[in-house]
Amino acid sequence: MLTTFAAAVLVSLAPLQGETDTTIAVPAGASLSVNNFGGSIVVHAWTQNRVKVHAEHGSRGAIEASLVGNTVTLRASSRHGAPSVVDFDITVPQDMALTLSGTYTEIEVDGVRGAITAETVDGSIDVRGGSGIITLHSIQGSVTLADATGRIEVNSVNESVELSNVSGQIKAETTNGDMTLMGIKSSSVDASTINGDVEYEGTVSDGGTYSFNSHNGDITVSIPEGANVTLSVATANGDIDPSFPLPLTRTEGKHRYTFKLGSGSARMEVESFQGDIQLRRPSEMRLQHKDKDKDKNHEEN
Amino acid sequence: MSDQVVEDTLPADSIAADAALAASGDASAFERLYRTHSARIHSLVRRMLDADEADDLTQDVFVRAWQKLGTFRGESAFGTWLHRLAVNVVLARRKTLGVERGRFQTGDDPLEGVSGRRETPEMSMDFEEALAKLPDGARQVFVLHDVEGYRHEEIARMLGVVPGTSKSQLHHARMALRRHLDR
Amino acid sequence: MNDQWTDLLSEYVDGELAAGERSALEAHLATCGDCRATLGDLRRVVARAKSLEDRAPKADLWSGVAERIGAGRVVAIRSRRFSFSVPQLIAASIALVLLSGGGAWLALKPRPTQGSAFGPRTGPRVTLAVSTGRTDAAIADLQDVFERNKSRLDTSTVRVVRQAFATIDRAIAEARTALQADPSNAYLNLHLADTMRRKLELLRRVNAIAAAQS
Repeated sequence: MLTTFAAAVLVSLAPLQGETDTTIAVPAGASLSVNNFGGSIVVHAWTQNRVKVHAEHGSRGAIEASLVGNTVTLRASSRHGAPSVVDFDITVPQDMALTLSGTYTEIEVDGVRGAITAETVDGSIDVRGGSGIITLHSIQGSVTLADATGRIEVNSVNESVELSNVSGQIKAETTNGDMTLMGIKSSSVDASTINGDVEYEGTVSDGGTYSFNSHNGDITVSIPEGANVTLSVATANGDIDPSFPLPLTRTEGKHRYTFKLGSGSARMEVESFQGDIQLRRPSEMRLQHKDKDKDKNHEEN
Repeated sequence: MSDQVVEDTLPADSIAADAALAASGDASAFERLYRTHSARIHSLVRRMLDADEADDLTQDVFVRAWQKLGTFRGESAFGTWLHRLAVNVVLARRKTLGVERGRFQTGDDPLEGVSGRRETPEMSMDFEEALAKLPDGARQVFVLHDVEGYRHEEIARMLGVVPGTSKSQLHHARMALRRHLDR
Repeated sequence: MNDQWTDLLSEYVDGELAAGERSALEAHLATCGDCRATLGDLRRVVARAKSLEDRAPKADLWSGVAERIGAGRVVAIRSRRFSFSVPQLIAASIALVLLSGGGAWLALKPRPTQGSAFGPRTGPRVTLAVSTGRTDAAIADLQDVFERNKSRLDTSTVRVVRQAFATIDRAIAEARTALQADPSNAYLNLHLADTMRRKLELLRRVNAIAAAQS
């Protein structure tokens, strides 16, 4: 069912069989906003200038769709007051910017090339793709991002955060979960957790700033051969364990040490209150990470 | 020697009491619930997916149950609620594994390649082993319908197929398993 | 051959055949030994399924669950200490106050933006300022707001958020304890400040979410 909307048309779609299918033609440069209280939002990309929506909402639920100016808005609604669970499966033009939000909502995005903002309270966020401003926030749910580039801000509170093959400016934070950054190309990375380990495998570029922090966990950072970096390493109760020679240039009080490699151009801060700090070469880290992955029974890609 | 307690023998209100305690953050109450229900959940997960994943996923189920206890209103028995949550976790895991919808085989013998002729009783695979060897679709329908008691309409919705497929997969599973009834 | 009848047997066992099909099948069963045998088999399969026994996992999975829900997680504190003893105070955007009692209180300033965080360290440069724990007060205020508004959030979200608070509070307490033994240590001061800032930010974020729930 191909429907073209004029500006500001609000349509409620709720066929009795509990699911809705609709397709909306959109102008180039349009953006998508989805608000779904509970359920899931799954977004794929195609090359057409249309947004295809498949929603499963049960007989008590409904969805509302509108196109106002350049923004397609989809909302879950319900006919009887209490919010119902809706599963959205949406296909969008590749370059469409996305704003996806919900409370008990899992969010999954694959193959888009535009900006992405995804926020949920209780639900995981899994994004592959994206460029520009990428902001992913969950409270109770893990957040993963792969194959993205841009200004990236990724947060969970109670679960882990995982970035792979990501480039650009990166800020990543969680409280109760591990922080894993692999295949990163960046000159500005800030990754921290309180109760979890931190792993970084990526570039250490001249003039870049990098900061890795944990309270309770171990931090493993890869330093490529030939990197020029001033490393400030601090741990109150843990060990510092480099797998290559690390010339100490300064100590600052108990617990903090500065090492200089090459010209010392990049600045890196690696700090864990109670955990160990491991400094490795990229090849060692990739091996270490692959073993860990096998144990986790976790499927990548 | 297991410290499992069969749910039937515990008074229903002690389970309900533990559920209420656990919902307000009492971890030892939740541990008691775990001890009572872990065998059932683990068996469900193992039969729906496989033995390798069962341990991890069982933990996932209980962690999720802890998180969602706030939404358990006590209208059904805790065990029923937990069970439904486990099924959801298993189904979500299916999706993550990229199981395509409709990967259901329609061959005559889903256990082809596995000896099971009625006339040769020396094959010794028992019922549960044979169950594990069924193709995913047939096995999951069988577990949900015959072991767990869901109806075809519900199963169809959960697995993303039409009820007719659920019925035919159930039939395939039963036909394949009949050669492996323990003697 | 037999298939059109055999295919109906499962539905027959489950009582799902329409009346017409059922009587046709029953008429056929009366004459077909093979089908009767298959029917018996199917009934036995169903009975076997219903009688499957649950098996507990071989490993005890409770400790894994307990750790993930934050129940009784014990962090092993390593006791190795480094023996460097020359204290230096580092210029950062933090004003330190040394109380006569030996503790250190902090007045937080915004975290330095990236790029200036690692400005040249030219040696000890400390700004002393009088502070009465403005940060603690800010946290206490936001905590009040949280308690008042938490009913807007689902109970499981509240529990999750409390777990996060507990994690951060534990970290703050541990940092404070370490600081007591070494009050002028720059890293410990910064770490405590950072951890308190995390609590502030989380409180702000959660309060914003609660406010947005209608």
